Amino acid sequence: MSLHAAIFYLLGALILGSAGLAVTRRNPVHAVVYLIFSFVGSAMLFFLLGAPFLAALEVIIYAGAVMILFLFVVMMLKAESADQASLSLRRWIPPLVVGLLFVALAALTAMREPGGAEVLKSATVAPRVFGRYVFERYWLAVEIISVLLLLGLLAAVQLGIKGTPKGNGTETKTGAES
Amino acid sequence: MIVPFSHVFILAAAVFFIGLACVLARRNLIMILIGIEIMMNAAAIAFVGGALHWGRLDGQAFVLFILGVAATEVAVGLALVVAAHRVTGSVDPDRYNLLRR
Amino acid sequence: MISPLLKEFGFAATAITLGMPFASFVVITLFTRAHPRLSAGLSISAVSISMLSALSLLFRLWPLEKPLEYSTLWYGGHDFSLFFGFLLDPSSLLMFSLVAVICLLVQVYSLGYMEGDPGFSRYYAFQSLFAWAMLSLAVSTSLLQLYIFWEVVGLCSYLLIGFWYERFSATQAGKKAFVMTRLGDASFFVGVLLLLVHLGDLSIMELNDASTAARLSPGFLTLCVLLVFGGIIGKSAQFPLMTWLPDAMEGPTPVSALLHSATMVAAGVFLFVRLFPFFSRSETAMTVCLTVGTISMLMASTMAMVDRDIKKVWAYSTISQLGYMVMGLAAGSSFAGYFHLTTHALFKALLFLCSGVWIHYFETNDMYEIARKNGRSLKTPLVCTVLAAASLSGLPPLAGFFSKETILASLLDRPDPIWFAAALLGVFMTAYYAFRPVFIILFPRNLDPQDEEHRGGAPYLAMALPLLVLAGLTLGIGWFERSLESFLGMAPPGEHAWLTPVSVSVAFLGVFLTWFEFGRRTAPQMGFVERIRPLKTFFLRRWFLDDLYAFLLKQVVYRLLARSFTQNDQRVIDGGIEGIARLAVGSGRICSYIQSGLLRLNLMVMLLVVVLMGLYFFLL
Repeated sequence: MSLHAAIFYLLGALILGSAGLAVTRRNPVHAVVYLIFSFVGSAMLFFLLGAPFLAALEVIIYAGAVMILFLFVVMMLKAESADQASLSLRRWIPPLVVGLLFVALAALTAMREPGGAEVLKSATVAPRVFGRYVFERYWLAVEIISVLLLLGLLAAVQLGIKGTPKGNGTETKTGAES
Repeated sequence: MIVPFSHVFILAAAVFFIGLACVLARRNLIMILIGIEIMMNAAAIAFVGGALHWGRLDGQAFVLFILGVAATEVAVGLALVVAAHRVTGSVDPDRYNLLRR
Repeated sequence: MISPLLKEFGFAATAITLGMPFASFVVITLFTRAHPRLSAGLSISAVSISMLSALSLLFRLWPLEKPLEYSTLWYGGHDFSLFFGFLLDPSSLLMFSLVAVICLLVQVYSLGYMEGDPGFSRYYAFQSLFAWAMLSLAVSTSLLQLYIFWEVVGLCSYLLIGFWYERFSATQAGKKAFVMTRLGDASFFVGVLLLLVHLGDLSIMELNDASTAARLSPGFLTLCVLLVFGGIIGKSAQFPLMTWLPDAMEGPTPVSALLHSATMVAAGVFLFVRLFPFFSRSETAMTVCLTVGTISMLMASTMAMVDRDIKKVWAYSTISQLGYMVMGLAAGSSFAGYFHLTTHALFKALLFLCSGVWIHYFETNDMYEIARKNGRSLKTPLVCTVLAAASLSGLPPLAGFFSKETILASLLDRPDPIWFAAALLGVFMTAYYAFRPVFIILFPRNLDPQDEEHRGGAPYLAMALPLLVLAGLTLGIGWFERSLESFLGMAPPGEHAWLTPVSVSVAFLGVFLTWFEFGRRTAPQMGFVERIRPLKTFFLRRWFLDDLYAFLLKQVVYRLLARSFTQNDQRVIDGGIEGIARLAVGSGRICSYIQSGLLRLNLMVMLLVVVLMGLYFFLL
C-alpha cells in the first residue's frame, strides 16, 4: 500500500465518518459543523485525485458559502430540535435497506467495470489548463450556470419578499395603485 | 499509484448512500437539504475519480457545474424552506399537507 | 313471349296503382284535412284509378306464363343482397285486383256510413294509406319488403280500430290488436333474419326455388317456416293469437269489412300462398300449420254460435274461414286456400257491409235488437246477407260453395281422415252460425218498428251500391274456378265424387237446425248451445283465452319478467354503475394514500425503481 493509498483510505474514512455523524445529529447546527469536516475531506480527496482547483472551490463554495448559508437559516428559523422520531431505528430501516441495495448495485457495477481494478496513477491538472479547457469546450454550459445562479438569486430574493404576511402585501399594493 | 478506480467509485457510492439515507429518514427539511448536498458531493467525487481514471478533463468540468447547481439549489431550497416555515411554522415536510385538508 | 312494351306497361300500371293512394294519403294529411268532401273525393278517385289500372293489368297480362319482376338492388354486400321492386305473378296480380276492388267498394260505402263524422278526412287518409300498403304488400318482390308493408298495414289496422279514440274500449282494442299481432310479427321477423343470414337473399322467387331450400338443413328449414308462420298466426288471427280480431270490431264497420275480414287479415294467408313451395318443403311445419288452422277454425266456430253481437259473429267467422284457408294450404293445395281467400274476401266484406247498414240505422250491434227494430225492412242488406250467408255456408251455386269444396277435396287427399272430419264439423257449424243472425233478423219477435223517415237518400244509395256489386261478384266468381285455376297455374286438389253431396247435405243440415231453433213460427230463438249455460259462458268468454292471456300477462310478464328486469335494473345496472362509481372513489382514495405528500415515501419508491432498473440493465 503506497502512501497515496493510505491517504485515500484515511480521507475516505474521514468523509464517511463525518457525513455519517452529520446526518445522525439531532441538532442541525452540529450536523452542519460535521458536514464541514466532510466537505473539507472531500476537498483533500480532490487534491489527491489531481484537481487542486476543484479542491479550492469545494472549500470555498461548499465548506464556506453553502454551509454558512445553512447555519444562517438554521439559526434564523430556530429549527426545532424535537426531531426525536426521525432518529428512531424503525424510521431508519427502510431507507437503509433501500440505500444498501443501491450501494450494492453501485459496487457491483464498479466491480464489473473492466477498468475498475486498474490502479489510478497520480496526475495533476493546473488551474490554468483546467480553466482554458472549460472555457474552450464548455463555455456555453458555464454561461448557463451563470444564468442559473442569477435566476437562483432572483428566486431566493423573490421568495423572501413573497414570504411576508399576506395582508401587508395587498395593502401596499392597493395603496400604490391609489 | 493511488488505489483501484473501483475503490473511488465505492467510496462515492457510500457517501451517496449516507446522503440518501439522510433524505429518506430525516423529517427536517434542512437535514434533507444537507442530505442532497452530500449526494451531490458524492457525485463530484465519482466524477473526479473518473476524470483521473480516463485522463480526461470533462469529469472535472462537470464537477464545476455540479458546484454551481448545488449553490443555486441551496439558495433556492433554503429560501423555500424559509417561506414554507413562515406559512406552516414547521420545517417538517410531512406537515406540508394543506391541499389534503 | 312478353313484348318490351307490355313489360313497360306492367311496370307503369303497377306504379300508378301504388302511387295514387299514397299521393292521396299525403295530400289529404297535409292539405285537405279541413275539407272532408274533398278528401273523400280525392281518396275515392285515387283508388278508382288504382282499381282500373290493377284490373287492366290483370286482363292485359291474363295468360301470364312467366312472372314479371322489376326489382332493384336496395342494399347489398358480398354475402347478401336485398332487392326491392314489383313481382307480378298470377297470385300477386289476383290479390292486387281483389284488394283494389274491395278498397274502392268500401271507400264508396264509407261515404254513407261515415257521413258527418268529425274525423272524415282522417278516415280517408288512413284508408288511402292502407290501400297503398296493402297493394304494395301484394306485389312485394322480397320477403323484407313484404314485411315492411306487413307492418304498415298493421299500423293502419291500429289506427283504424282506434279511429273513434274518444271511446276507451276502441283505444284498448287498437292496442290489443297491435300488441298481439306484434307477437306474431316478432317471430316472423326473426324468421326473415334467419333466412337472410343463411341464404343471403330474400327474394320470393328465390325462396320458392327448389335449390334454395335444399341449401338449408331440414330442421333449420322447419324452424324458419314455423317462425314465418308465427307471423301468419298473428296477422290472420289464428290460434293462439286470435282474440284481437273480435275486439277489433270496435272500429267502424267498413274498416272491419276491409281490414279485418277481406284483405289485411288475409295477408297472412296470402303470405302462405306466396311462400307455398317453400313452406311445403317442410312436412313437419305443414302438419303444425294444419293443426293450428283446424283448431282455430273449430274454436272460432263455437264462439260464433253464441254471440249476440252481429259484427263479432262475423269476426269469429272470419277467424274460422281463415283457419279453413290455412287448412287447405297446409293440406297441400295452394289453389284451395287461395281460391277460398278470394271468395271469402268478397262474401265476408258483403256480410260486414250489410250489417254495417243495420248498425248505421239502428245504432246497435245486437242482432236481436236489430230484429226488434224491424231490421228486415231494409231490403237490400237483407237479401245480400242471405246470399252471403249462404255463400259462407257453402251452399251451391254461390262462391263459397266452390271454394269450400276445393278445400274439403284437398283435405280428403290427406291419408288421415281426421282433418276431413273436423272440416265437415266446421261446415256444419258454419252453416249454423251463418244463418242464425239471418233467421233472427228475418223472423223477429215482439216487433218495435221505428219511423222510417230518415232512411233512403244518397247515403243509403252509397251504401247499397257496393252491396249489390259484391253480391253480384259473390254470385258470379264461383263459375270462374277453372279459369282462375289455369291462370294461377296451381294444381287443383283431386276429384272425389261423393264429396259434393256429403258437404252440401251437412251444410243443409246446419241450416235446417238453425231454422228449427230460430226460424220456424214457434221457435224458441235460443240455440242448443245457449241452453247449456256453462258451455255458453265458455264459448262467450272465448274459451277463456283472454283470461289465460291476462293470467299469463300478470304472472309471467309482470311478475316474472318485469320484476326480474326491474331487479336487473336496480341490482345489476344501477348496482353496477354504483359499484363502478364506488370503485373509482375507492381507488381515488387509495391513490390519495399513495399521493400522501410524504416526500420520503415518494423518494424511496423512486429509488427502488432506479435500483431495479439498474439491476435489470447492468446485471442481467
